[in-house]
Amino acid sequence: MIHAPVGCGYYTWGTRRHLGDVYNWAAPGVLENEANHRRHCYTTAMTEQDIIFGGAEKLKRALLEAFRINPGAQGAIIYNTCSTALIGDDIEQVAREVSAMVGKPVFACASPGFCGVSQSKGHHEFNTQFYRWLLKYREKHPEVCMKEEEKTPYDVNLIGDYNIDWDLVTVVPLFEKLGLRILNVFTGNARLKDLFKLPDAKLNIVHCQRSATYIAELLKEGYEIPFVRVSLFGISQTAKSLRDVAAWFGEEKMKRRAEEIIEEETAAIEKALSWYRERLSGKRVAIYVGAPRVWHWPKVMEELGMEVVACMTTFGHKEDYEKIVQRVKPGTLVIDNPNEFEIEEMIETCKPDLFLTGLKEKYLVRKFGVPTLNSHSYEAGPYAGFRGFVNFARDIYQAVCAPVWRLARNEI
Amino acid sequence: MINHVSEIPIEGITYKQLRIEKKPLTPEYVPPPPELVPAAKRAVCIDPSRTCMPFGAMWATLGVHRAIPFVQGAQGCTTYVRYTFSRIFREPASIATASFHEDAAVFGGRKNLIRGVRNLVCRYKPELIAIVTTCSSEVIGDDIQSFLAEAQDLMEEEFGPEVLDLTKFVVVNTPSFAGSHVEGYNRAAHEFLKALSRKSGQPSEDLYFIPGFLMPGDLRELKHLFELMGVSYHILFDISDTLDCPLVGMPNKIPYYPPGGTRVEEFVRAGDAKAIFALSPDAGGAGAKWLSRRHKVSAFVLPMPIGVGNTDELLKTVSEVSGRPIPEAIRWERGILLDAMADTLHYTMMKRVAICGDPDFAAAATRFVCELGMIPTYILVGTKSSSAAEEIWKVCEEYNYKPVIMNGSDQFEWEYALKNDKPDVILGHSRCVNISKEIRVPLVRFGFPVYDRIGYQREPIVGYRGGERFLARIVNAILDHHYPDDRTHQ
Ligand code: SF4
Ligand code: SF4
Repeated sequence: MIHAPVGCGYYTWGTRRHLGDVYNWAAPGVLENEANHRRHCYTTAMTEQDIIFGGAEKLKRALLEAFRINPGAQGAIIYNTCSTALIGDDIEQVAREVSAMVGKPVFACASPGFCGVSQSKGHHEFNTQFYRWLLKYREKHPEVCMKEEEKTPYDVNLIGDYNIDWDLVTVVPLFEKLGLRILNVFTGNARLKDLFKLPDAKLNIVHCQRSATYIAELLKEGYEIPFVRVSLFGISQTAKSLRDVAAWFGEEKMKRRAEEIIEEETAAIEKALSWYRERLSGKRVAIYVGAPRVWHWPKVMEELGMEVVACMTTFGHKEDYEKIVQRVKPGTLVIDNPNEFEIEEMIETCKPDLFLTGLKEKYLVRKFGVPTLNSHSYEAGPYAGFRGFVNFARDIYQAVCAPVWRLARNEI
Repeated sequence: MINHVSEIPIEGITYKQLRIEKKPLTPEYVPPPPELVPAAKRAVCIDPSRTCMPFGAMWATLGVHRAIPFVQGAQGCTTYVRYTFSRIFREPASIATASFHEDAAVFGGRKNLIRGVRNLVCRYKPELIAIVTTCSSEVIGDDIQSFLAEAQDLMEEEFGPEVLDLTKFVVVNTPSFAGSHVEGYNRAAHEFLKALSRKSGQPSEDLYFIPGFLMPGDLRELKHLFELMGVSYHILFDISDTLDCPLVGMPNKIPYYPPGGTRVEEFVRAGDAKAIFALSPDAGGAGAKWLSRRHKVSAFVLPMPIGVGNTDELLKTVSEVSGRPIPEAIRWERGILLDAMADTLHYTMMKRVAICGDPDFAAAATRFVCELGMIPTYILVGTKSSSAAEEIWKVCEEYNYKPVIMNGSDQFEWEYALKNDKPDVILGHSRCVNISKEIRVPLVRFGFPVYDRIGYQREPIVGYRGGERFLARIVNAILDHHYPDDRTHQ
């Protein structure tokens, strides 16, 4: 429930892959709640009157109506944005009241745009607010916790993976083959009822280390659940991740299993990869994504024989830049949150053969005759894990080797 | 080097493999409580068919040559809009943001504006900056005019007085809670003309047009018609080149500006124009009316020129105002549209159609489907509009239909109606895809926004030729879904 004028809800509507994806479309006239609830956009669509007189009452009514319309809903999350935060609507109070009335969890996330420099602050806020709320909710409703007898020593959470274009399909089986049980993915395809069990795991495996290390750290402080950091892109990093996780458990059997998986998976993709590597080696690549991927990916590009010439992030913090600098060759250009002007200058100076970037920048860069790849939400993922790497390589090959760039250089 | 495709080990894991994951349906159907179906009776808005005001003002600004919108608010309001432009046009869209943080929320956005505008002027050297407000700056109560005056003074001090000749400024107040993107465009039209247009006392023969949310292909079609008419015309907010331009390899100058767009000079001379036409009453009408009040330029607020009747009306008015006859070439195009309508009438007549769109799109499409003998059933007007509702009533009275008009409602209400009473075809934007798939009724995409089909932005729906293309898409959708293959060539 986006508590805001209509825009905030409209723009965030349907921007992420979600559970509904795995269901078929409901038959005509059949509203299948689980399949549908995420493809809708619920907002209070605040009007001038609401802004003047305050919107808390409206929010409460809206939320109650939403629960009546979706009796199958497992709970709700309220977000406020700039204007509703400025007029001071107490969304937490509304969440508490509605939760008590409908007997379902309601979490209020304060997320006005001005509260941080970028979405990175939003990640942080969600992590900490959600964690605090989760603890309280578990205390009050112990039935949402995992029962002792259901627990196993191999219960883990995968933290900071958002199932971008179905990354989970290539990643989850790797851990399952190791013998682990993934309780939760925070928050790719997550369900509220599973998220309550976050503190019941033995280990957290952290993938995106910008947006979600916070909650791993909180779980470590609060529940002494340790975490390992992993990188699940490319062969060597994915292999290392499996080895690290197996090493944490310390069991010989699991370590052997990890080696088997690595061998099996590498063998399965090697032929494809070498075909792409042959065609891509020596190409120069510039990377501009969120933050962690910018340091996840130099190694991956090297595995394809490509050379990283520039790295930029939208919301990297100091540690992200330290990691980037460790992973790239001296002389690589590194820019923090570049604007379009700086991107253009980068193209002129670094002359990349490929620019890994998002939707907003890719069209600009193409105008300069430089191939691009949508690296936020992918062209045709998944890109993570071993098998995803082949998709990644394929899409890079498609971008770089498409005949259009050559045709564009020909004069008529 | 080129291997046969079958030799290339292309996939790691294919989309096909992903799709088999789909789970079967669960049968239980939970109809919403009937009293919560009409949007007017709910506090919650579900699936809005409109976005917030600043978007419209930014759209308009991007149709001006070397112009950049400067959005007075937090970053999201800009970033999301840029995503939307990228999706629709597959083109770059440069938009600057004041990037509000906590301090701006407490002390106001004065510093952000002054510094932001200065940076923009010295790095991008734009010919125009449109300062577009957001709900946050409006709630905080930023006094944009005085901030701007201060910024201009400071820049004059720093760079000399020439700097103010270089860059013109327009302020568009768009508190998002007071209206939708349609009103945002409308206000931009008003503010641009108010800030820039002058009357020199030497009247021109020029005709001005405000197109609203028409696409580049539509604008090109309009230009084609006006050229055939031989009138001297200006399209304000002309996105036909700025948001659809060729890939030419390395541009030799940075920063990158797309070619084209309406010149500031054209806005200035609008005060001398012979007439101004708003082709989308709700998105631009205010600009035309202002020009007529202030500079006594004749203003015509016409329905969007989609279909026969509306295009006739536009061309007849242009012909009357300019004194130029409608040439044979245009009559020919009209004849071809009529020919296509005659050829397909058995496919279109009595087919039931649901429509969803911005007010002017919905109204114009209603007239067109009526001309095709189709029966409009449920019409969702995404932004509440009395003029669109009136126009729709007028059309339906003429053709004797009684559709349900959901004026300013949301898609939830419309969807529910469609589920209970399936039409044969849906005319709507890309947000209607889910509904269309779910009830298995073909969707013909049109209006704002269409982002999931290639080439839509270049294929006109206005004018006679556009009408013919639009008709073809409607009929082809009907053929695909409702006719056996051997009955499609009758
Ligand atoms: S914060 Fe306001 S102006 Fe910005 S997107 Fe949301 S509704 Fe629109
Ligand atoms: S895009 Fe990168 S930084 Fe952003 S959330 Fe995803 S993994 Fe994290």
